[in-house]
Amino acid sequence: MAVFSSSSSSSSSSSSSSSSTSNLLLLLLVSSLDWLSTRGSVFVMDHMTSSAPVGPHFTECISREQETFRCWWSPGGFHNLSSPGALRVFYLKKDSPNSEWKECPEYSHLKRECFFDVNHTSVWIPYCMQLRGQNNVTYLDEDYCFTVENIVRPDPPVSLNWTLLNISPSGLSYDVMVNWEPPPSADVGAGWMRIEYEIQYTERNTTNWEALEMQPHTQQTIYGLQIGKEYEVHIRCRMQAFVKFGEFSDSVFIQVTEIPSQDSNFPFKLALIFGVLGILILILLIGISQQPRLMMILLPPVPAPKIKGIDPELLKKGKLDELNFILSGGGMGGLSTYAPDFYQDEPWVEFIEVDAEDADAAEKEENQGSDTQRLLDPPQPVSHHMNTGCANAVSFPDDDSGRASCYDPDLHDQDTLMLMATLLPGQPEDGEDSFDVVERAPVIERSERPLVQTQTGGPQTWLNTDFYAQVSNVMPSGGVVLSPGQQLRFQESTSAAEDEAQKKGKGSEDSEEKTQKELQFQLLVVDPEGSGYTTESNARQISTPPSTPMPGSGYQTIHPQPVETKPAATAENNQSPYILPDSPQSQFFAPVADYTVVQEVDSQHSLLLNPPPRQSPPPCLPHHPTKALAAMPVGYVTPDLLGNLSP
Amino acid sequence: MPGSIRPVSVVWVVLVCLLFCSRLLSVGAAPICTNAQAGCHALSLANLFDRVIQHSARMHGISNDLHSEFEQYFLPSKNQIGRVSRNCHTSTIFTPNGKENAQRMARQELTEVILKLLVAWRDPLWHFHQSIAHHHDFNNFSANKALEMSDMVHELRKGVEKVAEKMQMMGIISNSVSSLASPEALLPSDSAEWRLMKDYDLLYCFRRDSNKVQNYLKILKCRIVPEHGC
Repeated sequence: MAVFSSSSSSSSSSSSSSSSTSNLLLLLLVSSLDWLSTRGSVFVMDHMTSSAPVGPHFTECISREQETFRCWWSPGGFHNLSSPGALRVFYLKKDSPNSEWKECPEYSHLKRECFFDVNHTSVWIPYCMQLRGQNNVTYLDEDYCFTVENIVRPDPPVSLNWTLLNISPSGLSYDVMVNWEPPPSADVGAGWMRIEYEIQYTERNTTNWEALEMQPHTQQTIYGLQIGKEYEVHIRCRMQAFVKFGEFSDSVFIQVTEIPSQDSNFPFKLALIFGVLGILILILLIGISQQPRLMMILLPPVPAPKIKGIDPELLKKGKLDELNFILSGGGMGGLSTYAPDFYQDEPWVEFIEVDAEDADAAEKEENQGSDTQRLLDPPQPVSHHMNTGCANAVSFPDDDSGRASCYDPDLHDQDTLMLMATLLPGQPEDGEDSFDVVERAPVIERSERPLVQTQTGGPQTWLNTDFYAQVSNVMPSGGVVLSPGQQLRFQESTSAAEDEAQKKGKGSEDSEEKTQKELQFQLLVVDPEGSGYTTESNARQISTPPSTPMPGSGYQTIHPQPVETKPAATAENNQSPYILPDSPQSQFFAPVADYTVVQEVDSQHSLLLNPPPRQSPPPCLPHHPTKALAAMPVGYVTPDLLGNLSP
Repeated sequence: MPGSIRPVSVVWVVLVCLLFCSRLLSVGAAPICTNAQAGCHALSLANLFDRVIQHSARMHGISNDLHSEFEQYFLPSKNQIGRVSRNCHTSTIFTPNGKENAQRMARQELTEVILKLLVAWRDPLWHFHQSIAHHHDFNNFSANKALEMSDMVHELRKGVEKVAEKMQMMGIISNSVSSLASPEALLPSDSAEWRLMKDYDLLYCFRRDSNKVQNYLKILKCRIVPEHGC
């Protein structure tokens, strides 16, 4: 009966080839051999299968610690040799040329084992084993030869245990650190054996073992185990640079169950709930209580455009008439009383304070009443001026405070409001600039100055076009030349301007002054023929009711002056689309509006403004469709109103 | 004040010099750094041992691989040992054959044994590599391994010599190791018998001897500097 040592009963992980039925018989026979290491290879059997009857042979020789070793044999098919003592083991130790065969130093017939103790074990020396019968019959074809270091199978490591390293944030997997002790029989401390370890693990009750990389340290990390599953881990070892593994150790079981990780979720839910509740409370507070202060704190109002003294409602679309009315000083005595009432209770509305002059000093006001004038004037001590108009806000006695927003009540009486800036690249080349009014303004430059020049409007000093002042030029002295709306003041800024002004026929100013009351605007119309802009004085119109059917309209079309009067001008104008001053005859009593509406740009990049329909056909505008300003709103023309303008 | 500064500065300079000098003296003229620049720093004995042991382990691994490859070409038989026609040429060198023997042996002797072994294998391995390279049966991989193996023996020998020097310097072993000077004198006169060995036998013998060297080195290390790793 062939007796083969097979996988021991202690280990179930044997993947060896010895799975034949004879193993079952052997299991019974070698049940007492628990200490035997797993034997995967039965090479002796393979060797013997070549011959027909399986004779006595050695199954295996193993050393556990490289200091002793054992050999097992089996009688093979010769049952008559199975009795103890029938077979004898002889070995030859080739440590000298004349060595002899010796018998096994220590028998264990029950186990059919021959044990070589330390004294008989020599490493690195070839051993050859023989099985002999009673009559010195050698049963093996070949000697079973080996060297001790090649038959070392270390004992399994001991004290295998594990610790949890960490759990993944998702809570689905975890890492484990496994550590153990080297086998006690192996003298690792003296350096006699250098061992490397191999860990294998699998899910419980499965057999697809997964092996980790071999390494010589006594601990290793297993990554990626899944929570909830139970794992089985065992370990084995072998000598470094050798091939024979020792037995597997006893298995250790690893399992990590679900940790109630509500902690991580709990605060999240709480936070969510609290957040929703808070928002609901806020909404309730706002909606139900309607406390203005609360509303202001929680939902601060968006600042709306504010012009002092004007209801912001009017600034909205479509209410330009009222706005203009107010701006023009109509209504209840002006904005002075209007403004403070309206904004009294809104402290957060800040107005830019302007130093207001005495209303009595008309002349003074002429000079300093408007922002533009102030801009033009050299720095003057105006601290004494109090802004009576802007009563609501704190008064800043600043010179350079923005004054555009503060409406000076004294300026009501003027009817002019220049709200639209005219693009007035004036070119009063020869100074006739019918800018009679303008003359004061140093604006009127010579033709050599291709700057945007405004024509100072009418001589109304009080014509307080405070809201906007178009800066038309900056004087070398530092003064700022503003648009004609402010006229008179300019005169003081520069003497040169006055000179020019004189040329321009100052006389008309006086007449213009009379006509302050009336609404006058100056519009500059581009002369399609290249004569540029021409300003038309409204002097005639002033004296007579405005011929233009524009009640309250702020725009005045400016006819392109008769070219014949100023042939030179026109010639010059042909070159540049600048405004041409009017002929001197056309007295500019009426102030020229600072702003105008640009209707379109023609092919020559000239800006086409809105000429009003005139009774007298324009001198030369054959192919320029004058656009009648029907129902031209005073002041602002919003883009959406442009469409309303009928050509 | 100026008067007191001068002596103070002198004292300070002297102290600094003493510090530096003591450091220099402590380092000593390490033989290991003799051929290097002044900037080299001596390694500790444990460190040296670790390097040498690593080297020998790698050498043994390569020899093991080559031996396994050879077994594929030659008839794989479990009893190859019996086929070794001759003993290894290094069998004349007395080597401890067991743990106790190795532990009982004096450190100096053990070091000598290691060096003898390494010296004995320098030439045979070189010729082995030559024969492998010209043999059409073996691929370049084997030839490279053989070359690497022969180089490693050479390097390992130098390393062990340095370890021995360091040990001598530290007084662990006596200075009377004459073998270190001329290792060739250690070999017996009939050292040329290795030429008669076949390649496979050479490999088998070298595999065994490299394991011996590795073992002895490890035993030495754990005996002399048993820090981490033992």
